[in-house]
Amino acid sequence: MKINRIFQYGTMAALVLFLSVFLLLPVFIVIQVGCDWSLIMEVCRSQVYREGLLNSLQIAVVTTLMVAVISVPLALLYDRFDFPGREWCSLAMLLPMILPPFVGALGFQQLLGHYGVFNSILVALGFERVDFLSGNGVFWSVCFIEALHLYPIFYLNIVTALGNIDPALNEAGANLGGNKWQRFFRITLPLMRPGLLAGGSIVLVWSFTEMGTPLMFGFTRVAPVQILNGLNELETNPLPYTLVLIMLIVSALLYLVSRLALGGSSNATPVKGNTSSSSVKLASWKKFLPGAAFVLVSLCAILPHLALLGIAFGKNYYNTILPQGFTLEHFDSALSNVLVLPSIGNSLRYSFLAMLVAVTVGVIVALASVRWKLRGSAALDLLSMLPLAVPGVVVAFGFLGMTVKFSWAAALFDPVENPLWLLAIAYAVRRIPYVVRSVGSGLEQTPEELENAARNFGASAWQVLCRITLPLIVANLLVGGLFAFSFSMLEVSDSLILAQKSEFFPITKALFELSQILGSGPSSASAFGVWAMCFLAVTLIAAGVLLGKRIGSIFKF
Amino acid sequence: MGTVSLKNICKSFTPGVPVLDDLNLEIKSGELFFLLGPSGCGKSTLMRILSGLTAADSGSISFDGVEVQDLPPEKRQAAMVFQNYALWPHMTVFENVAFGLKIRKLPRKEVQERVMEALEMVHLADCADRKAPQLSGGQQQRVALARALAVDPPLLLLDEPLSNLDARLRDAMREEISAICAKRGFTALYVTHDRQEALSMADRMGVMKDGKIRQIGTPRELYERPADRFCAEFLGDINFIDGTVDNGNFSCSFGTFPVTGEGSGKHTAAIRPERIAFANENEDGFDAELVSGSYLGDCSSWICRAGNADLVVREFAPEERTPGEHVRLKFAPGRLMILE
Repeated sequence: MKINRIFQYGTMAALVLFLSVFLLLPVFIVIQVGCDWSLIMEVCRSQVYREGLLNSLQIAVVTTLMVAVISVPLALLYDRFDFPGREWCSLAMLLPMILPPFVGALGFQQLLGHYGVFNSILVALGFERVDFLSGNGVFWSVCFIEALHLYPIFYLNIVTALGNIDPALNEAGANLGGNKWQRFFRITLPLMRPGLLAGGSIVLVWSFTEMGTPLMFGFTRVAPVQILNGLNELETNPLPYTLVLIMLIVSALLYLVSRLALGGSSNATPVKGNTSSSSVKLASWKKFLPGAAFVLVSLCAILPHLALLGIAFGKNYYNTILPQGFTLEHFDSALSNVLVLPSIGNSLRYSFLAMLVAVTVGVIVALASVRWKLRGSAALDLLSMLPLAVPGVVVAFGFLGMTVKFSWAAALFDPVENPLWLLAIAYAVRRIPYVVRSVGSGLEQTPEELENAARNFGASAWQVLCRITLPLIVANLLVGGLFAFSFSMLEVSDSLILAQKSEFFPITKALFELSQILGSGPSSASAFGVWAMCFLAVTLIAAGVLLGKRIGSIFKF
Repeated sequence: MGTVSLKNICKSFTPGVPVLDDLNLEIKSGELFFLLGPSGCGKSTLMRILSGLTAADSGSISFDGVEVQDLPPEKRQAAMVFQNYALWPHMTVFENVAFGLKIRKLPRKEVQERVMEALEMVHLADCADRKAPQLSGGQQQRVALARALAVDPPLLLLDEPLSNLDARLRDAMREEISAICAKRGFTALYVTHDRQEALSMADRMGVMKDGKIRQIGTPRELYERPADRFCAEFLGDINFIDGTVDNGNFSCSFGTFPVTGEGSGKHTAAIRPERIAFANENEDGFDAELVSGSYLGDCSSWICRAGNADLVVREFAPEERTPGEHVRLKFAPGRLMILE
């Protein structure tokens, strides 16, 4: 018993050390370098930077609202009704996760550009061309694309929150005479607040700091892109650090505001007993409506990527509704680019390592906070959730600062020499929360008595872990790992900032560089983007096959 | 196979509110010992302390004279039947039962034999390949029992193992458990709040309340000579009569009766309803008025007012009687117990 405790505290200490060095230290360095009063004043005085921050903030708010409008109705439909295709909806809702938004931006421009698909349709119908992407059009496009990428996060959180509400509470409301709407506003909505908070704050911070999408739209007046552009003169001008610091503060404020707005802790008690009885079966044609809503949203989400397919395989896809023929030449030209093939290998290596690190750390954090219940494990849990509120640019800049400041950091991962570990750890740190959430919820759903029973029958702590605990949460483990892996593959801000030498570029940076080539650039970037999407899709499908029948249950966060 | 001895066990989850309060208990080798008590009296906690899943705040536990309180649960060799079964949902019934044997590194053939033997004991041999969650509550409970029996434990801990079975199956399993324990010579601790179960199966039993064991003895001793009011009441219906003891006689509002034991002054006497009988007019006894009654088939439970006391009288093979009727009651000398 005592040796066990010592081991647990030792493991926890190692974790705290890891998170301090790779999460707190980078943040601290950003604060230290960026916290220069004259620089802060410079940012505040500069109209360009003020506009950039304001634009980012507006993108964040608008995107979050869009996400809420998309996901809340769908989540309610999923929770309330039993309809054909319901079991596929969770899967469909995950689709955007494998569709990188900054690649989607390429397809979106194809759809809405001056000589794009919609305008071709308008012309064919005898209307004037509309400039969707001029003026505020770019802003709305960025929000829309980001919303289409981020709604699954919100959706999953709400579905989970709804699932945690005991149907009996609603039945009691109905029994006392509350109608549908009264019950929704007085019972369901207050009880699903934790889900709204969790989903909303992540989406808010994420869209505030999103770099790839505005970059692809050429929307340079947003803070993250301005930071990236300042990167080249970093040695002479530490202003980007200050911008990063301001983004960190604003992110933290956003987090706090959403916390205050949606309020404290959950008072929903977990469901006891059978809950499947709560969903309503719809009659006749009405039963297809919920499914149709899911199809519509999923279609919107994949439309830009369908256009991307058109660019990738299409001949002369310009000023026409459909491509003028089929060709593989864009794939040829993409593959002939020196960046492309190595970047695939690089991304696989970085993401695999990142997954290993994130899963190891995540599992231990989850065990410590759910099972071991050590003193201080709540603080550890909080620390591991910090990356949700800390923007990717902050971590990336902090890592950059570390390699400049400390010789050991420079020796271990110099971004110029070989950024393997630098990128792997930067990717991993920001994916830890997803693993912790996923594994933690698995542990919470697994009665501790099952582990007690194994110990009672003579299994050592290690045997219990390997034979009982891990097999029981294998689905959660896989989901956490997959998310860590695929998010790493699609990661933009760390990749753009930390991969400095072309031979170490990951997929995202190669894609971006490719899209910048004039002329053939966008089409070969699209071809490469299609390849990357297919690869991710195969990974997710493989996981689905591995999990078999449990595919539906793995997506409940 | 082993003597279990608990000395001065204390445990509290919130300071100042003891769950177990300086508890002492000795279970003899090969004995089927029952702990009976209301919910929240600490009996499950005591069991978890024995199994090592919960640590006692102080006190010592020894199995066969060897102190075990510092051993982790996996070293204690005390197989437990969990109240909520705790069957592993990712394993089949067979794998669940085989777990303890595989951990003990028994050869595969022996594992196979012992698992099937245990499953046959609980009449579930044909469910071996099903996953645990596919079984009904009663079946799961029997798997939990088989899982514990399969490892042939020196100490068997049963935490309300029959609570979810229907009446007929429960009776069958009671006999089965008693027979298995006797045959294999297990030392077993059985926790329940079902007094019928305890009275019918126990070699010896203890009645627990508020973290203390109030009385230990054989079922008959406890039922017929309860140490205090709580034990008397917890084991079955009983009448309490206030009165005074003087010179070996107990005087109350409806008569004076000889009692054994010393002491004098105000006392409470107790008598079980089935020990009071209706008497003929000319027999020895005392007068009473029938107040009300309920008919239960094999017996009737009557309430009769004698003096200022309302007595419950159980009459087997009941006669037809009407409330308001005058009746004469009697009980054998020595059936009246004087409580401390």
